[in-house]
Amino acid sequence: MSLKSTYQAAPLPPGWTEHKAPTGHMYYYNAETKESTYKRPLATAPPAPANPSSSYWQHQAVPQINLSDPNVANQFMAQYAQPRQQQQQQQQQQHGGRGGGFQPRPKPQPVDKPKSKVAIPGCDPWILVYTKYGRRFAYNPVKNASYWRIPEKLMPAILELDKERIRLKAEGKVPGQQEQAEKPDDATPTTQPAERDTHEHQQEEPTHDYDSSEYEEVEVTDDEDEPDEDGTSRKRQRTKDPSPGPSGPVEFTEADIAAQLAAMGAEYGDEDYDDEHDNHYPDDDAEMHDAWEEHYDPGDAGIPLSDSDARELFKDLLNDFNINPYSGWDKLIEEGKIFDDPRYTVLPTTKARKEVWEEWSKQKIQTLKELRAKEASTQEKKDPRVPYLALLQDKATPKLYWPEFKKKYKKEDAMKDLKLSDKEREKLYREHVARLKMPQAALKSDLKKLLESVPLAQLNSSCSARDLPLQVLADVRYISLDPKVRDPFIEAYIGGLAPPPQPQAGEGLEDDEAAKKAREERQKREKALQDRERAVAEEKRRQEKKLQFERARLKGEERELERAMQVDKKGLQSQLMLDRVGSEKEKEKEQD
Amino acid sequence: MPAIRPSSKRKPPPDGFSDIEEDLLIFANKMKDAQNTPTDNIPKHQAQWPIFQIAHQRSRYIYELYYEKEAISKQLYDWLLKNGYADAMLIAKWKKQGYEKLCCLRCIQTKETNFNSTCVCRVPRAQMKGEDREVQCVSCGCRGCASTD
Repeated sequence: MSLKSTYQAAPLPPGWTEHKAPTGHMYYYNAETKESTYKRPLATAPPAPANPSSSYWQHQAVPQINLSDPNVANQFMAQYAQPRQQQQQQQQQQHGGRGGGFQPRPKPQPVDKPKSKVAIPGCDPWILVYTKYGRRFAYNPVKNASYWRIPEKLMPAILELDKERIRLKAEGKVPGQQEQAEKPDDATPTTQPAERDTHEHQQEEPTHDYDSSEYEEVEVTDDEDEPDEDGTSRKRQRTKDPSPGPSGPVEFTEADIAAQLAAMGAEYGDEDYDDEHDNHYPDDDAEMHDAWEEHYDPGDAGIPLSDSDARELFKDLLNDFNINPYSGWDKLIEEGKIFDDPRYTVLPTTKARKEVWEEWSKQKIQTLKELRAKEASTQEKKDPRVPYLALLQDKATPKLYWPEFKKKYKKEDAMKDLKLSDKEREKLYREHVARLKMPQAALKSDLKKLLESVPLAQLNSSCSARDLPLQVLADVRYISLDPKVRDPFIEAYIGGLAPPPQPQAGEGLEDDEAAKKAREERQKREKALQDRERAVAEEKRRQEKKLQFERARLKGEERELERAMQVDKKGLQSQLMLDRVGSEKEKEKEQD
Repeated sequence: MPAIRPSSKRKPPPDGFSDIEEDLLIFANKMKDAQNTPTDNIPKHQAQWPIFQIAHQRSRYIYELYYEKEAISKQLYDWLLKNGYADAMLIAKWKKQGYEKLCCLRCIQTKETNFNSTCVCRVPRAQMKGEDREVQCVSCGCRGCASTD
């Protein structure tokens, strides 16, 4: 048997070298045989006991079942021997706990590290070392020997140690070192190691990868005398324990666990199921519950969105959908465009949404107003005359009178614009038509006069012929000349102008910075939303898993009931046996 | 009677009208539809419900734009009232305490009822007696417009 994920890894056999994969896993390579494996190859047998089943019996301090009964003994043997054999057959098998129905696969080796040590009183130089993953082993620095299995002679001292710690914990003052030592404790207590084991594996799979057999050797140490109600708190610590471990190279995903649970659920229907799982239900079940409850801990459920973040997200949503801030709430709801967006649900109630929407529309309208005021002040406001004059240049001819022209082009946008009164339109039309009859030279000189009247700040050498100031564009004199003649003329004029007076710089930069900041904040919020969504999905998966588990349990219970109803050929003896088992179970239930 | 001027010779609406023009057009279309739907197979008292409801919505829209969002100017607001886009009398009631959600003016017209009382929709839901709390008022189909609802 190999002790794989231990701190003091045994030396590699000759020819093997240790490497780190890009993913962070350790793997081993034999240059001679060109063989590589994730599992640490071992040359010599570890100091663990040769006969695992015997070790189990040695360490079960309170045997609950009368072992003289061959039936029961067989059951237990089946329970333990089976996974063991499998592991011997295939090195990769990880969890043999429930009939070994799992697929072997190479898994990364987590690095377990010693976390704290406590000197065992009265047993110098032995020390008890706790590892990061909550296991512990005895270490003799003098002989430089370490044992996962606590040697027999150290047992009483360690029991004393544990009692002491529990007492201290109960008093609420936990000395620093012992505080650290607390966590490992939860890995130890077992009355039904097999059940415990399988359960442990589900719990710790995210980071652990060791054979169930060796695990149970670690587990079965002491602590049977601990009060059971400690179980919950211990559990709590444990489930959190592996998560912060930075060295877990690969996340064992929830989906994987779910798959395993499903496999387990299927196994409940198997024949060998009964042999394994008869008398351990209540305990297992209660523990499972603890674990699940632990999973539902709010701290575990992901990063909650802060209120302001949620509001901002909803506002982003409104921005993204180009919601008209002038429109009413009813219209928004009627259209229902925003319902499908995940950001719609960041706020819990429609009332809250409406509130945010009100705030947002107010803000938006304010900013729009400001923007318009700014535009108006910089004279970039659209002059209704510009599109109208463009239309005139295109369509107006001396052949059409104004009423004819108006009727012909009444569908044009420029003609429908309410900003420009009809009178003004007529005036401009008449003027333009009159000018069309004038000679080119006169038109040119008029245009030159117009250009000269524009101040240098607006029209200078940096201007292009495309974007002329409004003052020029909204003048009839600008359109009366044919564009083919006019554009080169204007370009020549601009070329002869002086450069613009020094403009005030700095405003554009400020704008840029503000925009950048806004963008960053938005990204941050969106990330928070993503996190939340992920957490929600995870929660869902957990719930599913729980359901699955419960279903499997129910099935098992039904099966047990069935079994209880049957009286088999052995008659009274087996019935009595069953009764006894049943009463024990009840006791456990009470304890829980 | 003064001559009705053609739209081309009318004064343009005040600034900001273009922002809400679209929504007002939607309301106008809804109103037209409501006016044109046949009322053959609905009870007589329900025939005008949609008209009242759309008028209420449109008034509410303009009221909110002016008093809550402060999105439109005083001139535009006045122009809208003058041109019949909103009911000034209804808005005047909304400004009074206890009438913040009033559905229509007919529902507070006590002189037109048999017992000189307001409409059933003015009764706060908490004070409604009997099981039948889901009532719609006769005049406009309101399901309850008490301020506490």
